[in-house]
Amino acid sequence: MMEELSEKEKTREKFIEAANRKKILAHRCNKCGHLMLETVLFCEKCSASKFEHVELEGSGTVVTYTIQAVAPEGFEDAGSYAWVVFKVDNQQLRGSGFLPGVKTPSDLPIGMKVRVAGYDPKHGLILQK
Amino acid sequence: MTNSKVCVLGAGSTKYGKLDESVIEIALNAAKDAIDSAGITPKDIQAGYISNVFGVADKQVHMAPVIMSNLGISHVPGLTIESACGSGSVMFREAFANVAAGFYDCLLALGVEKVTHTGTVRSTTLFSYCSDFFYEGGNGASFPGLFASMARAYMNTHKATEEDLANVAVKNHENGFLNPKAHMRKKITIDEVLKSPVVASPLKLLDCCPFSDGASATILCSEEFAKNSGRPYMEVIGSGRGASPAAVQGREDITTIPSTVAAARQAYKMAGVTPKDIDFAEVHDCFTIAEIIDIEDLGFFPKGKAVHAVRDGATRLKGEIPINPSGGLKSKGHPIGATGVGQVVEVFDQFTGKAGERTIPNAEIALTHNFGATGASAAVHIFRKVDRK
Repeated sequence: MMEELSEKEKTREKFIEAANRKKILAHRCNKCGHLMLETVLFCEKCSASKFEHVELEGSGTVVTYTIQAVAPEGFEDAGSYAWVVFKVDNQQLRGSGFLPGVKTPSDLPIGMKVRVAGYDPKHGLILQK
Repeated sequence: MTNSKVCVLGAGSTKYGKLDESVIEIALNAAKDAIDSAGITPKDIQAGYISNVFGVADKQVHMAPVIMSNLGISHVPGLTIESACGSGSVMFREAFANVAAGFYDCLLALGVEKVTHTGTVRSTTLFSYCSDFFYEGGNGASFPGLFASMARAYMNTHKATEEDLANVAVKNHENGFLNPKAHMRKKITIDEVLKSPVVASPLKLLDCCPFSDGASATILCSEEFAKNSGRPYMEVIGSGRGASPAAVQGREDITTIPSTVAAARQAYKMAGVTPKDIDFAEVHDCFTIAEIIDIEDLGFFPKGKAVHAVRDGATRLKGEIPINPSGGLKSKGHPIGATGVGQVVEVFDQFTGKAGERTIPNAEIALTHNFGATGASAAVHIFRKVDRK
């Protein structure tokens, strides 16, 4: 029981470890097949708690985004960047992350391809075009 | 024994803005106004429901007992509730439910916030803790950034423009100009909105509500208690709660807020009314795009059509459905723990002849809508004016 709890508490750590390999860690419900991000502990559709771990290619398309002209604390030195919501390729799953080097909307049309580049303790899930 | 009807007998607010007093003094000022407005004394209050988010920024959490003690009723139980920017309405719902259940016949429901003393940068960071931080704040999104992403999705889907959003700001500042307690009591133009500095594209400074301090309070009671008082009051005829995925990425459609839709559906059903029966509404316009999405989700306008309605004046004070006669969060201000209660205060003031130049003539049914974060939590309430003649 203790071991199981300890494992559950590390869902974010596992997600980050996969992001550093340019992957998105998800899990698929053994009961109904629904796919969720690794950090969700019970199936969103049927509430079951047994999953198959799935490593998805960290690539997707831009759903929406903002260019943060006024950066929050911790991002003052990040230059011009976008916070992006993207749809993972070939899945209904969406993620969000930090995309450096975006200055104007013409740099990032909706639907553009983005990829997971890694995870930075300071700036979170890093994306690249 | 349950109370089949729950009423609002008194209401009061401090001015919203940058306030010098401590968070507790701000709260007490609103409490005193509400108590006076109801014609009661603190001895009539059987419980205190308090909403607050960032008490820690003014060195005070566990706020309810402190407020009760300073009202001279330290024996009266209190509860402090947090639900980000929706704290006020979520707390009001719990207060309503406790009177309806018959636990209390008269209670104080008060929201308070003090944050401006921390400065804009720190306040922005504190607010970002209300997001699903691992996916949002931690990846560089501020709250303006999260709503900007919703704005971009809406503009892309419904071919809306930045000028369409600016219309909301201009209208709410027109209303707030008439409200002596508003934080930003200044009329603005479309041009000023469009030329204001970009905060998080496509949102600019004048698309955003200010950080505000302030408190709002109401006295909730049973119908019998209200009738016996001989004073004007209004009845809470509908109450609904809803929830959405905490992170924007979890929503299949980013141009709608599921918690609003669910809360509104419940409130309309309980009240036995439809959107067409609502004479005016106070809605959560933390950013201009939020009001556009709100008034579609609340059923006042079809999806994608709110921008046209706002442009045509339908939501102005003399329009077919006045939205945010108080000035809304955008102009009146957004002391986040108080905002949802402040909306109820506006309805009370409208129904009891205290709204001055922004009075909506002959209004009898009104709706309040307030959500937390990007709509992860929401509550909707519907009120009916009680004619004492």
